[in-house]
Amino acid sequence: MSPAAAACRMLAPLLPMAALVLLAGGCGAGQPVPLVALNRALEQDDSSREPSLAGRWLAVISARQGRERVQLVDVDRGVQLPLPGLNRPDAQPLSVSVDVAGERLAVVRQLQGRTELVLYQRSLGSVRLLPITPAGVPRRVHLRADGRQLAVEVSRNGLWQIDLISLP
Amino acid sequence: MAAGLAFGPRWSSLVMVSLLALMSSGCSLGRLRQAPSAGPGSGNRVDPALSGDGRLLATVLERDGRARLILQDQPTGNLRPLRLRGREPHQSPALSWSGRYVAVLVQDGEQRRAVIEDRLRGRLLRLPLPPGSGPERLSLAPDGSRLAVQMLRQGQWRVQVFDLSGLLERDLPAGTAVRGGGPP
Repeated sequence: MSPAAAACRMLAPLLPMAALVLLAGGCGAGQPVPLVALNRALEQDDSSREPSLAGRWLAVISARQGRERVQLVDVDRGVQLPLPGLNRPDAQPLSVSVDVAGERLAVVRQLQGRTELVLYQRSLGSVRLLPITPAGVPRRVHLRADGRQLAVEVSRNGLWQIDLISLP
Repeated sequence: MAAGLAFGPRWSSLVMVSLLALMSSGCSLGRLRQAPSAGPGSGNRVDPALSGDGRLLATVLERDGRARLILQDQPTGNLRPLRLRGREPHQSPALSWSGRYVAVLVQDGEQRRAVIEDRLRGRLLRLPLPPGSGPERLSLAPDGSRLAVQMLRQGQWRVQVFDLSGLLERDLPAGTAVRGGGPP
């Protein structure tokens, strides 16, 4: 028997085990893995929607005791960050998007009967209205990862359009 | 005599107009323009997503009873090809930093599914989500490391976050010393 054939005979019984190891490895590598602790924390709220991930940040609109608010979570540290001045009791957030620095949040909200697009700067605690021109009703917003531009759905004359707004 | 009066009424008007223009541009929070056209005909454009580098815009075009994901160069509006065809309606696209990864919800028979198109490798990944989850919105971290999914469970919206680091190479800004990166 040739050395190669002898080696094959020796290794043959190990082949099924090797195949199982490969299969197990392949399955494990191909699955999205839930972030259990974070997901459990999110389940403490009555509901959560409109997620926005960027860098270590997750922004969501969460509801507790019948009131919805924008929430910012540091995913790496598993802590929620304060957003002073953003969540007004008379405002209903509709959409939120965060930049990769966790510094800017673009928010569409309903306030006093109108729907508006605002830019929140976390380090300043400031909320600034972004005018929609020509006039229209904003809905979903997406802030570019570097926070320098946003795209927003706007309803005008019965049609949904996308506006792009550069931010200084 | 005050300096302003020395210029006369014509100059004063010009100075005022210039000042107003400067003030308005300085006060402006952003320059606004419409997204590039998606071709002839009208339709709703919804669900916008920008790549991290700002070079690509993904939207869902609702036209002729279809809701189809389109990917466009910025600012030219040139359409980029996608492997993802059919399985409409498409919903809630998200782009990674360079636009290498396009995550979107598609219709697969009776089920909504999350898929990610890897434009660099030319492959489509189906993401297995927990059984019974009705995915409604997606958000992909710009580096492709995590995916957040809004699901409808027991009548309530729930956001769940998944780690994709075993599934996708990172898509980081140019100049970052790692393998991978954006499309050629």
